Amino acid sequence: MTSRESGRVKDAEKRRVLDDAARKRRARKAIEALEQDNFHEDPHADLVMSKKVPKFADSNEKPTRKKKAKSAEYYKMRFRKTFAQLVEEDASFRPDPPNYLSAQVPPSKFPDRHFCAVCGFPSNYTCIPCGARYCCVRCLGTHLDTRCLKWTA
Amino acid sequence: MSESSCYILDNGAYTAKAGFSTMEPKVVPNCIMKAKSERRRPFVGSQIEECRDASGLFYILPFQKGFLVNWDTQKTIWDFIFSKECCPVNFSETPLIITEPIYNFSSIQEAITEIFFEEYECQSLLRINATDLAEYHYRKTHNNECTVVVDSGYSYTYIVPYIKGKKYKEGIRRIDVGGKVLTNHLKEILSYRQLNVMEESYVINQAKEDSCFVSQDFMADMEIARRKGSSNTIVKDYVLPDYTTIRRGYLRDIVKPDEDLEQQTLRLNNERFSIPELLFRPSDVGIPQMGIPEAIMHSIEGCPEENKESLLENIVLYGGNTLFPGFRDRVFNEVRAFALDHFEVNVTLGENPVTYAWEGGKLMFRDPDFYSFCMTREEYEEEGKALAFERFDI
Repeated sequence: MTSRESGRVKDAEKRRVLDDAARKRRARKAIEALEQDNFHEDPHADLVMSKKVPKFADSNEKPTRKKKAKSAEYYKMRFRKTFAQLVEEDASFRPDPPNYLSAQVPPSKFPDRHFCAVCGFPSNYTCIPCGARYCCVRCLGTHLDTRCLKWTA
Repeated sequence: MSESSCYILDNGAYTAKAGFSTMEPKVVPNCIMKAKSERRRPFVGSQIEECRDASGLFYILPFQKGFLVNWDTQKTIWDFIFSKECCPVNFSETPLIITEPIYNFSSIQEAITEIFFEEYECQSLLRINATDLAEYHYRKTHNNECTVVVDSGYSYTYIVPYIKGKKYKEGIRRIDVGGKVLTNHLKEILSYRQLNVMEESYVINQAKEDSCFVSQDFMADMEIARRKGSSNTIVKDYVLPDYTTIRRGYLRDIVKPDEDLEQQTLRLNNERFSIPELLFRPSDVGIPQMGIPEAIMHSIEGCPEENKESLLENIVLYGGNTLFPGFRDRVFNEVRAFALDHFEVNVTLGENPVTYAWEGGKLMFRDPDFYSFCMTREEYEEEGKALAFERFDI
């Protein structure tokens, strides 16, 4: 049975305005995205290595090598630490500034500039629901059709 | 004990610069890449030149946020760099200079010491910040007292003041904007505005290198970019590589639709200068930090009063981002505007900005005291890693 919905209720839902916390969360996500190495999956991830096929570089030629040469895998295990762990560790290694954390520059004394999220030119207006910037009605239309609140999780 | 040459490895987060001090350095991508077209093998370092179709490259980088964290990847790449395929070396006969990031974490420092003494059986090792080498390079060619080194690389931009050859730690500043952020931002806006290129880091990175420039008057350039027709001198098309006839994309003037040569292009307008602008105004993408010129001033403010004059007179820039046309002029103009009138301001772009630090290593090897900076294998075996922390000021 298909439930009947009121068009007005749906519209009101759409006009939901993001609160400050949600906007900040989005902004943080956008900055984090700028740090990513890849935006797609490993293209070789689905390759199934047959056991019969000799793998590259290791095992087969080992006996002929004179030096013990540890494998890359060994060092991965040996020095395994994440970036967050390392930052934490640094707090005990260099507890007092100047250190890694204190070296980060503070915010600029100049006011932020705003650019249209659609075309990149200076903008004067803010989208009410999501806080994105836009410069003209045309760009607002594009923004509402494509981005505005479209990828809120 | 002294050898006729040493091996210098400027181990950057995106490219490693390697070679003997008697030769020209090789610039090797410090990553492993996987291509969609070649299902069988990953490309290590400069092997990527053998790849026929570099679209949709998948990167595996040893560095994360400017620090070495993926050791298996780094070990594989180092093995490649030190092999016959790239730039072979025997460390039991050749001293090694290797660079590390500023404030490198202690466990990474230990790991590097261990790997080079035990795995690569190094005889003498000098671990040093790349900025130290750059400062040395500058000081030896300019004979100055104090220097501000600006290293704008892949992960970060660091500003490091040096007083009489020693880094002044209270003045070190870091801006979390580097080449990676610029490429990712360009990818993001192009994917939204024109064509989905989110998977094409490699191609878009080239597009960035080929077409972006630093604006000298940002708002005026924005007005030019707004214009239609031939009075808009900024808008260009970037022809994308198709890997059959075009291996690397290039920038070209806009042609009329009927002259179109059936090439896939991206239209670049304000993107051309708003991307490098992030180095000067990180707040444009919401990163709450100062831009480079403001940070240079902030760094110098943190230094002793009597050195400020000399610091302002000796600002040196290097690193991949400094290759953007107009970079030096913009830094100069802004620092000039910030600094007090009676101070002189000099901003120098290091020659060959990518290998500027590497070349500094070459000069440092000729320093009569070179071996006193190094740590030898015997010392390592005698006193262990603790000595490395004392000797190397990272």
